[in-house]
Amino acid sequence: MADLIRTPIVGRATALLAGPFLLGQKALSLVFPQAKDASADPPPEPALRISITPPEHAIKRRG
Amino acid sequence: MKTRLPDHGPVEAPKFWRTLEERIESPEARQAAHDEFLPGAVPASFDDVHGLPAGSGFSRRDFFGLVGAAAAVAATVACDRKGQGTVVPYTKRPVEVTPGVANYYASATHEGRRVYPVLVKTREGRPIHITGNDEHPGVKGKTSPRTLADVLRLYDPDRLRAPKAGGRTIGWAEAEGQLQSALRSAKSSGKAVLLVSGAVVSPSRKALLADLKAALPTLEHLAYEPAAGDAAEESAKASFGQPVDLQPKLDKAKVILSLGADFLSGEDPEALAAWGAKRKLKHAKEEINRLWALEGPLTLTGTNADQRFPVAPSRLAAVAFALAKDLASKGVSLPAGADLSAISAQSEVPAKAWSNLVKDLQHAGQHAVVLCGAQMPAEAHQAAHLLNAMLGSVAVAARPAEALATVKDLETAAKAMAEGRYAAAIFWDVNPAYTFPKASAWKEAVAKVPFKAWIGQVEDETSAQCQVLFPENHWLESWGDFSTPEAAVLQQPTVGTLYDTRQGEDLLLGAIKAFGATSADDYHAYLKARWQKSLPLATSFEQALHDGLAKGEEKAASPAFKGASVAAAAKSAAAAKAQDLELVLFPGFATHDGRHANNSWLQETPDPISKMTWDNPVAVSVQDAQALGIQEGDLVSLSLDGATLTLPAVIQPGQAKGVLALALGYGRSTGGVAKGVGVNAYPLLGLDPASANVRKGARLARTGARKELSRTQSHHRMEGRDIVRSLTMDEFEHHPQGHHHVPELVSLYEDQKFPDHKWGMVIDLAACTGCSACVVACQSENNVPVVGPEQVARGREMHWIRIDRYYEGELENPKVVHQPMLCQHCDNAPCENVCPVNATNHSPDGLNQMAYNRCVGTRYCANNCPYKVRRFNFLEYTSYKTEPETLAHNPEVTVRPRGVMEKCSFCVQRINDVKIRAKGDGRAILDGEITTACMAGCPSDAIVFGDLKDPKSKVSQLVAASRAYRVLEEVGAKPAITYLADLKNPAGEAIVGGSHAH
Repeated sequence: MADLIRTPIVGRATALLAGPFLLGQKALSLVFPQAKDASADPPPEPALRISITPPEHAIKRRG
Repeated sequence: MKTRLPDHGPVEAPKFWRTLEERIESPEARQAAHDEFLPGAVPASFDDVHGLPAGSGFSRRDFFGLVGAAAAVAATVACDRKGQGTVVPYTKRPVEVTPGVANYYASATHEGRRVYPVLVKTREGRPIHITGNDEHPGVKGKTSPRTLADVLRLYDPDRLRAPKAGGRTIGWAEAEGQLQSALRSAKSSGKAVLLVSGAVVSPSRKALLADLKAALPTLEHLAYEPAAGDAAEESAKASFGQPVDLQPKLDKAKVILSLGADFLSGEDPEALAAWGAKRKLKHAKEEINRLWALEGPLTLTGTNADQRFPVAPSRLAAVAFALAKDLASKGVSLPAGADLSAISAQSEVPAKAWSNLVKDLQHAGQHAVVLCGAQMPAEAHQAAHLLNAMLGSVAVAARPAEALATVKDLETAAKAMAEGRYAAAIFWDVNPAYTFPKASAWKEAVAKVPFKAWIGQVEDETSAQCQVLFPENHWLESWGDFSTPEAAVLQQPTVGTLYDTRQGEDLLLGAIKAFGATSADDYHAYLKARWQKSLPLATSFEQALHDGLAKGEEKAASPAFKGASVAAAAKSAAAAKAQDLELVLFPGFATHDGRHANNSWLQETPDPISKMTWDNPVAVSVQDAQALGIQEGDLVSLSLDGATLTLPAVIQPGQAKGVLALALGYGRSTGGVAKGVGVNAYPLLGLDPASANVRKGARLARTGARKELSRTQSHHRMEGRDIVRSLTMDEFEHHPQGHHHVPELVSLYEDQKFPDHKWGMVIDLAACTGCSACVVACQSENNVPVVGPEQVARGREMHWIRIDRYYEGELENPKVVHQPMLCQHCDNAPCENVCPVNATNHSPDGLNQMAYNRCVGTRYCANNCPYKVRRFNFLEYTSYKTEPETLAHNPEVTVRPRGVMEKCSFCVQRINDVKIRAKGDGRAILDGEITTACMAGCPSDAIVFGDLKDPKSKVSQLVAASRAYRVLEEVGAKPAITYLADLKNPAGEAIVGGSHAH
């Protein structure tokens, strides 16, 4: 709920400090690229698929 | 806010009041009216805006320092080319799907025995909005607030996504194998198998269960509905010799007497529509019905009654039998064998009103009807059945129904489980571990059953006691059918299954197949084969699927009333005395029996009377609160039969002295939304089915602690101006505008010009019952966010339409008027003039519109709005949503971010949709073609929308009605919404059936 968004000061300050740190790390990795270990990444979560049509159906109206 | 009730004599009261503070004109109420918004609604400091503890020392300067550093590094990183998505076209586009064009499917659902034929709007395959099926002759396009909100349950992130056993995810083959092996061994050993499900109202499901019983003769089935009211079931068996489903036919009723019945709560859209149709009068000579209410807690039906008297539920039967006796003494014949000799005169209703009630019922005869609340004691139901039989009422139909188990049957099953009678138990869409009053005894009993399976959508208290969990489809993913008096209704899936789930019926069919007893591949084929056999020749299955139904009157004969059952009930009723405190347990408006507790839309919809959200406080009468020294928000301990609950109290004007009222369906221990909201009242439910929901001997005491109530009734107040109007029939006939006069409006501005259309709305307060279906429909249509209890307590709820509930008169038994309040789309809108960035402005067809991306969040508009209908996104209310929940969004409406003002748009997306289609067809827009979500959702058609520039439109004609007025007209804002004054038709001065009755 919305009250979860109202994080306390420690969490907020951590986020503010961690942001620049992580971005800086990313910037350095662009300058000094490392060989990627392909097996290190877990497979991506399958996206939720909506099977649009049930097996039998009748559309009542469109629009 | 603390509310101390006056301990002195009567006070001079304002005519209409919303809260006890307003009624007694407390200094807090005056201050609140002066402050305009609640103290917590508007942030006072930097810490408050950013959710930091007060005095954190974290300054705006620090904040910008860190943001500056982050921005510099981010700018460096942004030089990298990344995160480019790809838009991929359909390689094989489904023929049904045209991006941007909605498809509507006819389907249906049920809640207990009540069936809701619906129309489901889907966009790009996603069901996003529900309305009633307009082709069904009964519901005529209307449905209940909870059905409207049920689309959100489809996208509940807590749904179980694959079968589970012993806490680990398994495949369907393994799970089904375990179930079938348990059933096979039960059959071979001759031991019983228990199946507990909800009400069976589907003919095909009934046939399937019969097939299962044939294949597994030791199967014992209990259909249990905790909210159905055991007393209603018991009394039906006594009065008619069989279970019945009583259906009010209020289109035939001139006089209605409610004995604690809440048929105007929105749960029964058909009854609500029929009642409302007889309240929308153009002139005083038209026929109007009259509603009498005798009840303990104040119900929504009671708030709409023309005359209401508080009566303790334990005394209802005695009062109703006294009515039957008085009618008999005036020549209305008693059924054979009905003995009322034990009944003496009643004292609850004043003599004059009593005499009017007797005359009213006798005068209306077969057009009078008596309806009893499902939770009221069995004797009260029997008295209602007797009165209807005496009057020969044509306004209620008794249909034979499938029997429902009572709490007593569940107790018997629990004992049998404890004794080791069952080899296996299956719990299908029920949650007895939560709803059974003796939860620990139930748990111990279930533990003795060797194999337990659970079929459901969200893991709950019962699933925690089972070995194998089968995830079930939502009804929008399922096949099914239902019987209604007017038509056989078909339920078709409107979307493929989102997860690895199946229908419960498919699981049972698999079990039947394992016994070699059926050849149907799946439930779809099973159901289709049954339908094709029974359909009339002229109707194909495809046509029934398209329409959602196959019309045909039901031919079941109504069971006859048994007069001999009266004597025992009357004797028992005569002996009943109101003593101590009696507790009434009723299904929650939002949660029902608890099945909707995980639906945040419903949790945040204010209760229509108490205006509570996210909680179930105990409602205490004004007199008892004074006697016990209880204030609103006090935490109290409520004890009964060894069970004690600690919960907040609210003081409810109009509630009978000595009566406590508490909603069921809260206090769940599972569910991301439901967990920990309110208290579980089921431990207080009785085990005697005749009065399971009305319990005597409750004790209430203050604990000394308090709880902040997330209650909306004191929000958005308009300072006692001429806002709501209510007329008696006499006033309507002679002074429809009362003492009000239309002020002469002088404006510095030129009148707005509307070249083509001028959209407007009329709301008839006489037909609005306050059921809140419009609130839920608007939430679903317009992506209105849920903010949670803490934000509601600060006055930050986001609903675009709210129902203001006004009391009039004495605290002990006030009259009530409900008024939907939404953006009035004023021609001279005070909000438009003060917006510094022109984010809110006027459209050429009279809409007060918002440009969200232009709004900078000054909130000047909200301050300047006299109707208090603008809502501000103080926080990022939608960011918590994850993938399945976001699929419930309507893609035609922008999801608003933090810092932006929003409000009712008159469903501009629907207006434009019709405009575009009419333009494409080369024709004019038809009157009634555009329906706003609130209008479409309103069961009583109290809301009418249309073009005010068209003199023939319905809305233009209603604007000219004698009851018409505009709220705060003297301000000169020229609102586009016209209200029609509420009507009350009390006996003694009014008109019944077109002629003066008394």
